[in-house]
Amino acid sequence: MVDLSVTIGNVRFKNPIILASGTCGFGRELEQYIDFCSVGALSSKGLTLRPRQGNDGCRVAETPSGMLNSVGLQNPGVRYFVENDLQFMASLPTGVIVNVAGHSTEDYVEAVRFLEPHREFIDAIELNLSCPNVKEGCMVIGASPEALFQLVSLVRKETTLPLWVKLTPNVTDISLTALAAQRAGADAVVAINTLLGMAIDVKTRRPILNNNTGGLSGPCIKPVALRMVEACASVLDIPVIGCGGISTGEDVLAFMIAGASAVQIGTSTLIHPSACETITEEVVALAEDLNISSISEIVGTLNLWR
Amino acid sequence: MAKEYTVTLKESIRVNPSTHFLSFYCPEIALNALPGQFVAISSNQFLKRPFGIAQVDKDKGTFSIGVRIVKDGTRYLATSPIGTEFEVMGPLGNGFSIEKDRPLLLVGGGTGVFPLRFLQSYAQEHSIPFYSVNGFRCVDDACFIDGERNSNCIVATDAGDFGVKGNVLDALEMIPFDMIRGSTVCTVGPEIMMKHVASWAESKGLTCYVSLEKRMACGIGVCLVCTCKTKSDKEPGYENKRCCKDGPVFLSAEVIW
Ligand SMILES: Cc1cc2nc3c(=O)[nH]c(=O)nc-3n(C[C@H](O)[C@H](O)[C@H](O)COP(=O)(O)OP(=O)(O)OC[C@H]3O[C@@H](n4cnc5c(N)ncnc54)[C@H](O)[C@@H]3O)c2cc1C
Ligand SMILES: Cc1cc2nc3c(=O)[nH]c(=O)nc-3n(C[C@H](O)[C@H](O)[C@H](O)COP(=O)(O)O)c2cc1C
Ligand code: FES
Repeated sequence: MVDLSVTIGNVRFKNPIILASGTCGFGRELEQYIDFCSVGALSSKGLTLRPRQGNDGCRVAETPSGMLNSVGLQNPGVRYFVENDLQFMASLPTGVIVNVAGHSTEDYVEAVRFLEPHREFIDAIELNLSCPNVKEGCMVIGASPEALFQLVSLVRKETTLPLWVKLTPNVTDISLTALAAQRAGADAVVAINTLLGMAIDVKTRRPILNNNTGGLSGPCIKPVALRMVEACASVLDIPVIGCGGISTGEDVLAFMIAGASAVQIGTSTLIHPSACETITEEVVALAEDLNISSISEIVGTLNLWR
Repeated sequence: MAKEYTVTLKESIRVNPSTHFLSFYCPEIALNALPGQFVAISSNQFLKRPFGIAQVDKDKGTFSIGVRIVKDGTRYLATSPIGTEFEVMGPLGNGFSIEKDRPLLLVGGGTGVFPLRFLQSYAQEHSIPFYSVNGFRCVDDACFIDGERNSNCIVATDAGDFGVKGNVLDALEMIPFDMIRGSTVCTVGPEIMMKHVASWAESKGLTCYVSLEKRMACGIGVCLVCTCKTKSDKEPGYENKRCCKDGPVFLSAEVIW
């Protein structure tokens, strides 16, 4: 039997498959579709200090092998989450990642401070510095190595929980923001969030999304994500968690070979709610075929052409 | 409990030049579906497509949907040969809440008549009196008009080439109010039509349910792309609810159009 367990910082997960933020709610709706024993962790919908209703109008457009979304961080707020959803998440037989977003540094600091007393239920905090669908904060901070460094440094002081920083691909050189996260004390980086994109209705000559732009996800972004995971892993000492377009066990192995210590899967769950369970089975079968006894032994074993 | 199934296309009937009535074998959905619920079905496109459940046959273990060809996904469905396999999730969503001691007034527009067909069968099965009004653009656009020339069904066409000339509101005004007093109105169709039907119903003091259509991705309530605005006392004065999970059926008084 293949040993699927992975360690990120000092936290051990039973396998490297994590349900990505915003594609699994807080786990409730998926309970009837998936056995949570088959995934390593679940990352909550992005939480902000105060509740948010998100963007108005059409929030989704289909693209070749993917989709654009412009949800705009609709969420019940971190207080409501702690009172109503955190215990439920913690009761699932899987790891608990809490994804935090905000408009300003203070929002992030206060939200993380609010979570700190509940640390026993949380395995890691994931700072979403990469949501493309809100006007201020988030991706604006996350695209600048300096702003990201400052924010992560301040949040770092508020918590002893493992801190993951989720990076935006909407930058020229992702290794700069990745390094800034590491310098600021992050325990891991997650690469990548969605790519900024647009879809147009030629009849009305208007963007399909009422937010005009949205975040592109799904298999179409996989090559971009793989390249960025490799770019991050090659400069960092902390672990990289790979994300973007994963839909098969083979994809998982490719991300791990590129340098990911674990992976997150988002859009695939929207297509098949039990996708992650199937993908875990595929990873096991493929690892057995390739005579891999422990999945973590393949991390970063990519042999680049010279 | 909704699940994902692989189902086989058993029957495909052309209802009009742009609409097909498709039946699939899936006993679980046939047994569990309620009127107003929907299925999400695979096609040759990336995301599954949502369709209101139009009919179930518990004995044969089949469920049916009416598909109007809009673009690639619906064209694929409507032209698939018998025996084609699809991935389906369902039954999804909440469905109509039906009080068995109240008559129903069903108001359908375009493909909205399909989910109402299921509700009408349910009413017949449970001896709930109903009155039905269906509107179409023209006779070529109409569905289910053959068997319905009875006293409690009105068909209206904008073009006037079948039934009453006009829209469903014109048709509603033709019904003596005594016949529909105390009815619960259930309407499915284009948003603008439902909005007008809702305000007509509210002006008559009738409770009205509407079935909203939003573009969807997951269909099960996890991604929040399908939301619609509803009234709320809480900040900021409205709440974005998930059409796929909290709906698709909403009380009209709750909806912010
Ligand atoms: C709950 C629900 C129930 C539905 N029931 C039925 C039904 O019983 N019969 C039926 O024929 N259709 C129904 N629809 C609409 C149907 O899902 C769409 O027509 C279909 O997804 C279009 O797919 P396509 O690939 O052909 O077109 P696409 O390429 O997806 O879209 C073509 C155009 O249709 C519009 N569109 C796409 N999806 C939607 C949507 N969900 N709501 C509104 N506009 C959309 C867009 O403006 C787009 O430009 C329902 C939709 C929902 C949400
Ligand atoms: C509908 C939707 C909502 C999302 N919401 C969030 C969010 O709240 N926080 C976050 O960090 N990422 C969010 N994401 C990004 C995903 O977690 C993931 O990084 C991205 O979709 C790429 O992975 P994928 O191709 O496997 O989906 C969202 C993605 C989608 C499709
Ligand atoms: S389609 Fe995903 S929440 Fe409704």
